[in-house]
Amino acid sequence: MSYTEQQIAEMVQPTKVHRNVYTDPEIFDLEMERIWARTWIYIAHESQVPEKGNYFTLNYGKVPVVMVRDNDDRIHVLHNRCGHKGVKLVDKPCGRIPAFRCCYHGWRFRLDGKLLGVPHMVGYEGTGFDKDDPQYSMQKLRSESYRGFVFATMNPNAPDLKTWMGGAADVMDNLCDRAPEGEVEAAGGVLRYEHECNWKMFIENLNDTMHPMIVHRAVVDSALDYIKTLPEDSPRRDEAEIIPPFGASYEVFEETGITGFRYGHHYDGGKSSIHSDYTLDPEYKSAMLKAYGEERMREILSFNTHNTLYYPSLTIKSAVQNIRVVRPIAHNKTIIETWSFRLKGAPDSMLKRTLLYSRLINSNGSMVGPDDLTAYFRAQEGLESAATDWIEMHRNYGQDEVLADRVVGKGTSDLDVRTQYAAWREFMTGEAA
Amino acid sequence: MTTVVTSNEAIRAIEQLLYREASYLDRPDLDRWIELYTDDGTYWMPAVPDQEDPHMHISLFYDDRVLMEVRRRNLKHPAAASKEYTIRASHIISNIQVRDLDEATGNCTVTSNFHCFLYYRDKQTPYAGTYTHELVRDGDSYRIKSKRVDLINCDAALNTIIIYI
Repeated sequence: MSYTEQQIAEMVQPTKVHRNVYTDPEIFDLEMERIWARTWIYIAHESQVPEKGNYFTLNYGKVPVVMVRDNDDRIHVLHNRCGHKGVKLVDKPCGRIPAFRCCYHGWRFRLDGKLLGVPHMVGYEGTGFDKDDPQYSMQKLRSESYRGFVFATMNPNAPDLKTWMGGAADVMDNLCDRAPEGEVEAAGGVLRYEHECNWKMFIENLNDTMHPMIVHRAVVDSALDYIKTLPEDSPRRDEAEIIPPFGASYEVFEETGITGFRYGHHYDGGKSSIHSDYTLDPEYKSAMLKAYGEERMREILSFNTHNTLYYPSLTIKSAVQNIRVVRPIAHNKTIIETWSFRLKGAPDSMLKRTLLYSRLINSNGSMVGPDDLTAYFRAQEGLESAATDWIEMHRNYGQDEVLADRVVGKGTSDLDVRTQYAAWREFMTGEAA
Repeated sequence: MTTVVTSNEAIRAIEQLLYREASYLDRPDLDRWIELYTDDGTYWMPAVPDQEDPHMHISLFYDDRVLMEVRRRNLKHPAAASKEYTIRASHIISNIQVRDLDEATGNCTVTSNFHCFLYYRDKQTPYAGTYTHELVRDGDSYRIKSKRVDLINCDAALNTIIIYI
């Protein structure tokens, strides 16, 4: 079937959403055109292309793109296709090149995408073909960077990146401010994890604080059960600070609060989160103290969020220094990438803990992520049933506090999902820029 | 690394240990599996080929005894939704080569190739790659000080790896 604007608008109601948003491949295609191509999508961090000629490839929605650093140190996000017959120009995850050269007919492009040369030009003489016509160059996406995090959009009318991020930029700032040098860099590689579910199921779980005590009870129990057998004077382990808070009570999560913004962004936590009680390496603390002074250091380290979503493609944990990137493949398939970050000027112990966290919580072999994924793929399968067409999102509806630039509610509120679907509806019906 | 030819008897003891470990993972029986490891034993599955370090680079698995003990309990926990499904595996180990044999202690490093079919959630997934076992002599047999599992597709977008391979 094909949907009218009216029908799409009606799929999202204040306290419920229609199941077809997860199960219908046609809705998925529309989301790629109307949400993913109209809003800002996370590409990669600038540190992933450190030298001139370094590139990084990915799919923007379904579209192959490449981020590249040119010879003037400018970063571009280009359509990864030759201006001639459309062949993908680079097909490795990352690498370094002096210029783009097509593997088919040898057309060459500058690092900013401009067509440099076509072999055996003589055959084009007098045909009307103009090598300098921009249509034959690699096409550029509009891109902007915030503190090293590069986003791109296919929408010339999108607001600038900072405006789009709104108050959610505070968490990106906090992630970078946690570095004594005020900058982070991608480090320690990536995990890529195939999820057989709709992309929205993953992002709707980020601030769903009603699930951890159910879904993660098994790993928390198992950890606590083993810890009980250890002598009391056993050395402190980061694992023992990372895993058990996933079993925190409803009251603890309620207290953390959720804050939602325009365009679908939100975070949980602020004053407190499940990362608040991590022990900090004294060497890190003294580097922070030296860089910022006591008051500012306390301010930075006491801003504790759990997950922050930059709808729809990026979620970050500032207190942990890892991010997850959403790469939708089909209505029922999504790749989730986990990247870890080094705080510049911090001791190695900080990156080591970040990587431990990524492995313990987000890896394919983890005891945490696979239990989340089980809930998602069961939802994906269960929603094939039309027993009812609607999925409710009532929790604390009407009780959220609406402020000028944000909505604030209890940590267990569904305001995160309502925030996402407000944006979904705006983009899908063309109300957003 | 040099390949050392050692006695048939010693090689048989090493092979038997690798086969026994594989048979515990086939079931999987982590209660028996964990006893094959030394108290400071580790299980490592790198996320990239030739990965040098388990701590300063991400891995798919890096468990010491503490995390093995947590995982052993987690596998049987009734609330672990991802473990509700039948898990069965079949491991084949071949191309076993004994390297770095310490003649005095009998301790050695052993590399082998493996193919593992893992049945989980109505799907059968093939895994293949190389094992590197560091073995320490324990009476007539050996215990495992470290096991490194290099999947040939470790850097691909993989699904859940529900159990040690």
